[in-house]
Amino acid sequence: MPSVTVEPADPRPLVDGDVVVGSRCTGCTRPDAWQRERCPACLGVCVSERFGPGGIVWSSADVHLAVGHREPPFTLAQVDLDDGPRVLVTVRPTGEVPPGTRVRIVGTDDGDVVVES
Amino acid sequence: MNPSIVGVGTSAFGRFPTARIESLAHTAIVEALDDAALRPGDIDAAYVGSVFGPAGIANRVLAGVGLAGIPVYRIEAACASGTVALHEAQRAVRTGMHRRVLAVGVEQLSVVFDGPIVPEPTDPEGRSGLALPALYALQANRYLAEHGLDPAVLAHIAVKNKFAGSMNERAHLSGAPPSVEQVLASRPIAGPLTLLQCCPMTDGAAAVIVGDGTEGGVPILASSFVSGPAWESGSDEPWSMRTVSAAASAVWEASGRGPDDVDVAEMHDAFTIGEILTTEALGLAEPGMAGRLAAEGVTALGGRLPINPSGGLLSRGHPLGATGLAQAAELVWQLRSQSGRRQVDGARTALLETMGGGAAGVDGNACVVALLGGDR
Ligand SMILES: [Zn+2]
Repeated sequence: MPSVTVEPADPRPLVDGDVVVGSRCTGCTRPDAWQRERCPACLGVCVSERFGPGGIVWSSADVHLAVGHREPPFTLAQVDLDDGPRVLVTVRPTGEVPPGTRVRIVGTDDGDVVVES
Repeated sequence: MNPSIVGVGTSAFGRFPTARIESLAHTAIVEALDDAALRPGDIDAAYVGSVFGPAGIANRVLAGVGLAGIPVYRIEAACASGTVALHEAQRAVRTGMHRRVLAVGVEQLSVVFDGPIVPEPTDPEGRSGLALPALYALQANRYLAEHGLDPAVLAHIAVKNKFAGSMNERAHLSGAPPSVEQVLASRPIAGPLTLLQCCPMTDGAAAVIVGDGTEGGVPILASSFVSGPAWESGSDEPWSMRTVSAAASAVWEASGRGPDDVDVAEMHDAFTIGEILTTEALGLAEPGMAGRLAAEGVTALGGRLPINPSGGLLSRGHPLGATGLAQAAELVWQLRSQSGRRQVDGARTALLETMGGGAAGVDGNACVVALLGGDR
């Protein structure tokens, strides 16, 4: 195995306070959780846009495995941010919330996007 | 040319951390060559599926069984790596590029991970903690909520497949099948998925030789390969369903057959919810009904449409790159009436499906659906 000391770039969405700093396509209006220069759908030019803090849970699940720094149990959810992209978040307090539940981004934990219901 | 499968073989499936990875593949390839009554010199090209196999593994495997010197392609398509290898092998024959092609898949997960697969840290969702059971658990909770179903519907899939797997001597987990209550009471893993609803981490290999139809074999009526489209805000179907349906539609169109023509199927049950979503996406069950079909025995051995008579990934295990070819081997044995106690009586048309996933933002990395046999 190669031995490296460089940490790979953090691929998670960038959060500023209680919003995700993403972008939107000026061509097809598609929202994206990352600061794209060109749209993944149509290659149109994207401009920066902030999404959240509000969103709706698409689904959530308690995870009973240790994953990275996360001790079990913790709760993950796919959340459709209002008029924005779908993002994978950590739910606080830990516990599943039904699809359709309104949640708010409250910040990050070691880089994970955190929401509360 | 009309491609057909002329030989199949597999290793045993289990944990073999002290074996050399090549030896797992060699067992499968030699069985397939013997099954086809072919020699290494008869093979024109090879497609090798492996996800976590080391660099150079494709050439090392082939060189050890007299297959050095032919064109060799390594394929990584997550859980569908072996099935994509089969798809490409049959395509090479169908288009006349080659006459006989080997598809082989090999994986030795026991030397790569101590526990479950560690999510890829350069992937946004992997870095956010989305282990594979969690990806499927999110779909399970969405599906159960959508259809107003109890988690017990998931457990019926595990009971059914582990019953079939108890008759498969090559399976990783071939012990006595659990009850629904035992499945539900096993250790929670993610969401409604308990330990007995998750496939084990398995080492193994499988091989399939595709010929051009002039030497008999099991016809590959159609095969399709779809990479998932974007899966994002506004996609209401659970992850993977659009991709599986697209691959299935292409197979129905190319073959002129439909779900009603299928006698037996092997599909991607890495987690119980996977089989449920796939059964419905393939058109083999109405939305919300796949769990009930398992509970009622319709999709069990002896039922109208047995699904995963091998025991599926839940029993055989899931050596990623080998899985699709192990599924194909099972279906070939079924169509030749060589499946012993697991035999599906009168099986003439068989459906194969494998779904590979894990990349953030796409509805699956790869799905292959193929239709085999087809005697009317
Ligand atoms: Zn666009």
